[in-house]
Amino acid sequence: MKKRLFASFAVVAMVAGSLVAASSASQAASRTVVVWSPYQGGNLDLWNAAIKRIETANPGLSVTSVGNIDMAKSLAAINAGNGPDISVSNGNGNLGWFCGTGAWQKLNTLIAGPNGINMSATFNAAAVASSISNHVRCALPLYSEVFAFYFNKDLLAKAGFTNPPKTTNELLAYSQKLTTFNSDGSIKTAGFLPWAGYYGFDMDSMWLGQMFGAKWYGGNQAAAFASDPRWTKAFTWQHDFIAKVFGGGNFDKGSKLLVKFVAARGGEWGADHDFMTGRVAMKWDANWMGPMFCDPDGWAMVDLAKCPSKLNFGIAGFPVSAENSAAYGSGVVGQGQMGISKGSKNVKDAWIVLKGLATDTKLNAAWDSANGSPSSLLAKAARPSTSADWYLPIYDITSNPKSAYHVVKNTGEHLEESMLQNLMASWQAGDTANIKSALSDLAKKVDQIVVRNN
Amino acid sequence: MSLPRLRAAASFTKKGAAAPPRKKLKVPRLFIFLCLSPWLFGIIFFTAYPMVSSFYQSFTKFNLIESPKWVGLDNFHRMFFEDDDFWKALKNTIWISAISIPLRITFAIFTAWVLTKPKRGSSIYRTIFFLPSMVPAVAGTMAFTYIFNPAYGPVNKLLEAIGIKEPPFWFLDPQWSKWGLILLGLWGIGDTMIIFLAGLLDVPKSLYEAAELEGASGWQSFRYITLPMMTPVIFFSGVTGVIGSFQYFTQAYVASGQVNDYSHSMYFYATHIYFSAFKAYEMGYASALAWVLLVITLLCTLVILKTQKRWVHYPNGSLFK
Repeated sequence: MKKRLFASFAVVAMVAGSLVAASSASQAASRTVVVWSPYQGGNLDLWNAAIKRIETANPGLSVTSVGNIDMAKSLAAINAGNGPDISVSNGNGNLGWFCGTGAWQKLNTLIAGPNGINMSATFNAAAVASSISNHVRCALPLYSEVFAFYFNKDLLAKAGFTNPPKTTNELLAYSQKLTTFNSDGSIKTAGFLPWAGYYGFDMDSMWLGQMFGAKWYGGNQAAAFASDPRWTKAFTWQHDFIAKVFGGGNFDKGSKLLVKFVAARGGEWGADHDFMTGRVAMKWDANWMGPMFCDPDGWAMVDLAKCPSKLNFGIAGFPVSAENSAAYGSGVVGQGQMGISKGSKNVKDAWIVLKGLATDTKLNAAWDSANGSPSSLLAKAARPSTSADWYLPIYDITSNPKSAYHVVKNTGEHLEESMLQNLMASWQAGDTANIKSALSDLAKKVDQIVVRNN
Repeated sequence: MSLPRLRAAASFTKKGAAAPPRKKLKVPRLFIFLCLSPWLFGIIFFTAYPMVSSFYQSFTKFNLIESPKWVGLDNFHRMFFEDDDFWKALKNTIWISAISIPLRITFAIFTAWVLTKPKRGSSIYRTIFFLPSMVPAVAGTMAFTYIFNPAYGPVNKLLEAIGIKEPPFWFLDPQWSKWGLILLGLWGIGDTMIIFLAGLLDVPKSLYEAAELEGASGWQSFRYITLPMMTPVIFFSGVTGVIGSFQYFTQAYVASGQVNDYSHSMYFYATHIYFSAFKAYEMGYASALAWVLLVITLLCTLVILKTQKRWVHYPNGSLFK
């Protein structure tokens, strides 16, 4: 009898034991968060180190990190129902798409919850504003992408300028002095080119708008290209600039000369970049070009503190129009964005990881140091302890309250940006006769896309 | 021997001397099915299913994330009445088809004809002319955007050297960009040329000898012997050319990425499908575009097929009777 009783106990204990084991195993399995990112090499190492820190701080939580995944793959997987818990988008442009389609979940409740984040006390103003689309916050910001004004100090000094231009009028005057011509009439060196397609990552029109404080969408949420007169002013200024600086008052002449000048530009990534060779003295550009200008041969993952630039250049906010003078010191500031995918079965833990990555000062400082991508965090610890002097203005531009990315809406792969860029290019080539009506047509088209996608 | 007589001869053979009965091959059906299965798998899963699926999607609004929503004929209405880019892409595609197909055929016939002339080293010449068609489209296009660069490209340097003061900006100028693509297409003529060359070599020499005896000139030989004998090849190149030109994508996409094609002068129908699907993420609309493309291509092909009786000469009778 005793034996039977003992055997029964043993069986019950075994069954109970295996049930507990199975339950804890399934619990452990359910605490796995899958993170897909586009990072590779050294950046992925820094990213994975941050993930390790989150795992250490949250016992039982396991994170599977997969690098080198672009957004198209993430989207396809989310659609198929086998996407990751967290995915990353490089830049703001696609945020509208990820939020608007529901590919990324709304985070408002999690942010306001007990383990939430005080956004404005944690991130800079541009980052707080940029992770929202259609009043829905579906992302947390990572590093910042800063688009600023680069100037060659030596060339400016040679022309008698000690400071960078602060206004659009000054920019024109500087450029007139800095632009030189060959004996055959072609442009030898240019002061500045307000030109769509001269390097610029298809963002020149966005930067032009920022100089004039032009809004992308109005209070009624409709596209503001026609309703905001600053767009017309910006494009008219560009037209005058081309005529006065390059065409001796003749727009067509200036435009044709610029097409040839731009066609002969040096490679974007290397020592023959026009800004490095002195072919152009001032330009709009991205923060990540700083390390390239500093060290064109080994700029990737360079330690900025150990990168005293061979080229004597400075960085400043965009020159601004007279009506937009309060915005001087600002630039266009976007961010890498990440969100929790639709269909994530472990939103609670995904949020822990998302928040952990967004607020990891070590990761942000390391990325900044290696890539010249400043953090979106306000915490000083998110900056490297030392930085090269030429890089410091990037921090001022990032934290300037007037710095911003344009309001993002669901227009597919930021179609309104490429449409505006095309309009700028057509205008500068002289193929668009009436900029007002062209801007009005553009606004109608963008509104159609937004309505269709919502 | 005329065609009716040939047919009569064939029917006589059938009636007069019956062919021995075929031996039935005893092959297990399963084996046949297994041999066919890779093809069956491909046609079902990679052709038939996507076609059926895209046909259904063409009547939906589908953004890849949310489930497709039925919208009836909205996509088609938008295409024809609201989408300026559709008409621009279609116009560009018709332009490139109308210009490039005749030019390619003419150039290929001429090149092939020239290549029949050398008595020594003909295989070397043929290889040289065929080689460009083996260059990947992306590499070829990038090379062309470099060669035709208005600032430092050798073509404009040459044009300036011979006295043309303002040579075209080629890919950078909406008026000239498509001509750049046409030249790129002519450079890679090798694949069409080789078919024409085979056709030319197949023309019986006796016909030329007879023509020579009759005192025909070189042009007359070409007009009344070569050209009629080549019409089946011209017909084939025309059909494949129409199908290919309506799917024209890679070269235009690469070239417009190299320059700033703001005016969409190199925006073709296939590019519009690609942008609608993978930039605007409108799979439903892109599917509708793809189906309209199929119908357009089918109609053009049918027109060529219908007219071929009038101008295509088959020495042994038409394949399409």
